[in-house]
Amino acid sequence: MLRDVWHSLVSITSFLGKELREVFRRPGVLLSLIVGPFLIMAIFGIGYTGHRAPFVTEIVVPEGSELPREPEFYADLAPGRLDVVGVTADRAATEERLRANEIDLMVVAPENAAARLREGEQTEIAVAWNQVDPVYDQLAHLAVASMISELNAEIIRRGAAEGISLTESELGPAVENVSPEVLAKPTTAVTQNVAPTPPSVVNFFAPAVLALVLQHLAVTLTALSMVRERLSGQMDLFRVAPVSSSEVLIGKYLAYALLSLAVTVIVGALMVFGLGVPVLAGYLPALGIVLLLTFASLGVGLLISLVADSERNAVQLSMLVLLASVFFSGFVLPVQDFIGPVQYLAYALPVTHGIQTLQEVMLRGAVSSWWMVGTLFGIGAVLYLLTLLRLRRVLGAAR
Amino acid sequence: MARPEAPAGVEPIISLSGVTRRFNGFTAVRDLSLEVPRGHILGLIGPSGSGKTTTVRMLTGTLRPTAGGIRVMGHDPLHFGRTVRRQIAYMPQLFSLYPDLTARENVGFVAALYGYSWFGRESRIRRALEVVDLWDARDRLARDLSGGMQRRLELACAIVHDPQVLFIDEPTAGIDPMLRVSIWDELREMRDQGRTLLVTTQYVGEAEYCDEVALLAEGELIALDTPEALRQHVYGGDVLEIDTDRAVDPEAIATVGEVMEVRQPAPRRLIVVVPEAGPATPRLMDALRQRGVGVVAIEEYQPSFDEVFTDLVQRRRREREKDANGDGSSPAREGTDAA
Repeated sequence: MLRDVWHSLVSITSFLGKELREVFRRPGVLLSLIVGPFLIMAIFGIGYTGHRAPFVTEIVVPEGSELPREPEFYADLAPGRLDVVGVTADRAATEERLRANEIDLMVVAPENAAARLREGEQTEIAVAWNQVDPVYDQLAHLAVASMISELNAEIIRRGAAEGISLTESELGPAVENVSPEVLAKPTTAVTQNVAPTPPSVVNFFAPAVLALVLQHLAVTLTALSMVRERLSGQMDLFRVAPVSSSEVLIGKYLAYALLSLAVTVIVGALMVFGLGVPVLAGYLPALGIVLLLTFASLGVGLLISLVADSERNAVQLSMLVLLASVFFSGFVLPVQDFIGPVQYLAYALPVTHGIQTLQEVMLRGAVSSWWMVGTLFGIGAVLYLLTLLRLRRVLGAAR
Repeated sequence: MARPEAPAGVEPIISLSGVTRRFNGFTAVRDLSLEVPRGHILGLIGPSGSGKTTTVRMLTGTLRPTAGGIRVMGHDPLHFGRTVRRQIAYMPQLFSLYPDLTARENVGFVAALYGYSWFGRESRIRRALEVVDLWDARDRLARDLSGGMQRRLELACAIVHDPQVLFIDEPTAGIDPMLRVSIWDELREMRDQGRTLLVTTQYVGEAEYCDEVALLAEGELIALDTPEALRQHVYGGDVLEIDTDRAVDPEAIATVGEVMEVRQPAPRRLIVVVPEAGPATPRLMDALRQRGVGVVAIEEYQPSFDEVFTDLVQRRRREREKDANGDGSSPAREGTDAA
């Protein structure tokens, strides 16, 4: 009995020793295990500013309105939240820019503010934005509320400074029958989100989850495929057989693309038919983006597979890609909230472009960030060339 | 059996000329020269680390020689085209198949690598698996096969595309003796079908299965000849083992004209080296009878290849030591009369 226990202990410690030796004899693995996640956290900590970029806002002041036309006046109404890039009388042009996502907010000042106040009514200020992100939608509401509150306060302050005689200063002739509510809140905002789909957490995050699942699946599957073959001697068969590096690589791309796409179609179908997530641009453009993201993601995985020196190393590198993707891709926090150099890191990840363009295709009905589509293809093409060169080197390394 | 040579004017299928391979200052293969004619098995025999796998890798084009020239089917392995590759097979030393695929799927994958489509490869797969007696195990996962079956499966993968030249690295390593014999039977059958095989093994005893044997030690070719000729090289001739009915003085027969050497491992046993066993046997028996010694048994002694190999390696070492001491000319290579 005691002897059996002793034997078990010896066996256990022999494995313990072996595993620890293996780990310590691979300092690179240890380094990536410990330093990798810390490095990502450090980049996140340093790179994330915590500062939300102010809404790029254009003010429409109709011809004949007595309201000011200086951008600074409106910017001061919600300091730090509005970046007033222009004051114009052309509402149609501003609406066009809003729908094209060139600006974030459109504020339309009323034509007849003084007349309405004289009639004892609140003045309505139309505010519109174009956001499918529920967080940004809420932020827009807050910014508008802040702006209106400041505007009201400003009117009251000026009135008070002139002995409640709003009359001469801002509104012309005296007003006698102004209710306390109107006096307290001379203006009110009428808001509108012009996005094609109302912001919702499920809708907004569904394309992001789809893109992240697709990238992670493609990277993990392929990261393991080639490293196994390299380490187990199967590469020797490829070296001698009448197959070229590009044939091997394309075969791998096709196999794992099919696998990844099959899973993506299933997940996507669940989202669309189960959760009711829209695909406004139709399935074909969505499939196009998915194909491009698959192409680029497989490149990441295959490159890992060709540089990793063990299966464990490949898994670690895949996990680092996943971690970086969760933090920097815009999945959790907007890419714009990071400092410049970290934004470059974010844009080097296929999933960053996948999330953005899939959201556009599914929630907005059209791609507006064509540069991201191009970049996604570019990343895929560059990674294909890199993996091809690396594979050629691996297959011909012994030569 | 005469040493196989390519007929005059016919290029050998495999030829190495002064091939050397160094790795970071370590010489794995030194000045190796040999030829293999079509339809022969050359056994590359030597202990672990003697340069066998390095040689095979140079022959398959996966390793560039540091010096020397190699031709396989008249082509430089570093520049094998698809046509030549389709006629060559390589079975690596380590299990290099896919453990999660069945035996049939593994062979099918390799057949596809060699360009056989799904429609045309089924009969090839079957034939290859039948040759190695694995057809009944075709649907078993490779990882569930025994070590011997895995080696045979690799052999099936190597022959599925009907190659003319096979480079087979340690096909019998770690395999039990019965299976080793069966694998060699398969290799010899392939040879009989006209294929040329270069087979490495660390089991010296397997030399007898080969048409020609190249003994490697520490990266050097120490002998290259037919198995029978190698045995003769060790003693310089045929060896007779004589058991007598009483103790005998070795000098009693040392004077018989054709006797080259006499050893006496036991009082009633003599080991006699003669140029040819046949004519020498009756003369030795007569000589012993004349001295009143009865012969209980006399038979040709077959030294094992382990003995042969050990002897050749020791000779080579002695020659190198002599060389190092500067008291000899360049060492005479035992039996290495290859190009």
